Amino acid sequence: MTDDPIADLLTRIAAQDRAAFRTLYRDTAPKLMGVLLRMLKRRSEAEDVMQEVYTRIWLKAGRFDRTRGRGMTWVIAVARNLAIDRLRARPATEASDGEEVDLVADTRPRAEARLVAQGDARVIAECFGKLEPARAHALRGAYLDGLSYADLASHHDVPLNTMRTWLRRGLQALRACITGEATA
Amino acid sequence: MSEEEDRIKAGEYVLGTLPLDEREDFARRMARDARLERAVGDWQNALEHLNDEFAPAKAPSLMPQIEARLFPRPAGRLKRFGGWLGGIAVAGAVSMALLLVVPQNPPPAEVVATLGGAESALQFEARHDGQRLQLVQVAGTAAPEGQTYEFWAIAPGAAPVSLGLIGTAGLDVEYPRPPAGWVLAVSLEPAGGSPTGAPTGPVVAAAELPAVDGG
Repeated sequence: MTDDPIADLLTRIAAQDRAAFRTLYRDTAPKLMGVLLRMLKRRSEAEDVMQEVYTRIWLKAGRFDRTRGRGMTWVIAVARNLAIDRLRARPATEASDGEEVDLVADTRPRAEARLVAQGDARVIAECFGKLEPARAHALRGAYLDGLSYADLASHHDVPLNTMRTWLRRGLQALRACITGEATA
Repeated sequence: MSEEEDRIKAGEYVLGTLPLDEREDFARRMARDARLERAVGDWQNALEHLNDEFAPAKAPSLMPQIEARLFPRPAGRLKRFGGWLGGIAVAGAVSMALLLVVPQNPPPAEVVATLGGAESALQFEARHDGQRLQLVQVAGTAAPEGQTYEFWAIAPGAAPVSLGLIGTAGLDVEYPRPPAGWVLAVSLEPAGGSPTGAPTGPVVAAAELPAVDGG
């Protein structure tokens, strides 16, 4: 056991341990369901993608590298990636509508207590805090709600290319700050 | 494409804002380029604090469907099962006899069984800590290439239940302490585990749980 139990489970899953796979589902499914519902907004589609997510986790666990990040971050990335693939494949007109989701809150304490080295987490939070509020807002909208450049452009009422340039500058500034480079 | 451009594109990929064609193009390049994969990992770490804002939701129990997708059960394999159980009975009896040899120093309380006798090429030790059952290989070689050891619990008269595959570090699974009379067994299975959910390969080690005698 280490201080990253999800990483431990992924290591065992990479060795084809099915008991570990069931434990991983028990410990991560509420979080990943939350990710998929927020991004896809449709419960039936979220449940569909959920099956793909765990299928992919089983097949790709061997590619997880615990020296490069936390287990929970990796499984959430798998879920977000599949959700974004679905969102980008939707016809543009239905990008932001969709049936109302009944979000049943899970009241259990959050299992994914922050375990990142304190220093890293603080630097990243500080750098995020230094972004212009509107840029940070757009980054969060993309990351959490899966908004496309087209969605963001219409929300902020600017042309699509302007939005893209603007968000890319936000990413550049964030990266420069985190790595300690001088901001351009 | 410049390294800087690639880094920013990796950020857009992680954010998810790339249009579909660019997204697919980036994913194809990433599959062949470890540098892009690392850049994506860096962005995932840089943005991971946002994950706290995803509120957990009630998840339906989808494990049966997921396992059915990953581990399909071909029909008609259950017939092999009866013969296998016969084998287990013999293996169990043999191991039982070997378990009766009382060691000079009593083993730590948590050892519940030794699978495969002292003279077996393959030997596994099962321990229980009150909540979890652990199995470690203590003698013998790893499973051959393309195969794996799978661990089973068998209640008297019941079908074997898989407790998982045994990796190089052993197996550690939340499971009640099996009572006396149960059989613990290890079989050799194709990589990925038994395709049927029941043992299909040879039993390489087994033991029946002895009655606790306080000695």
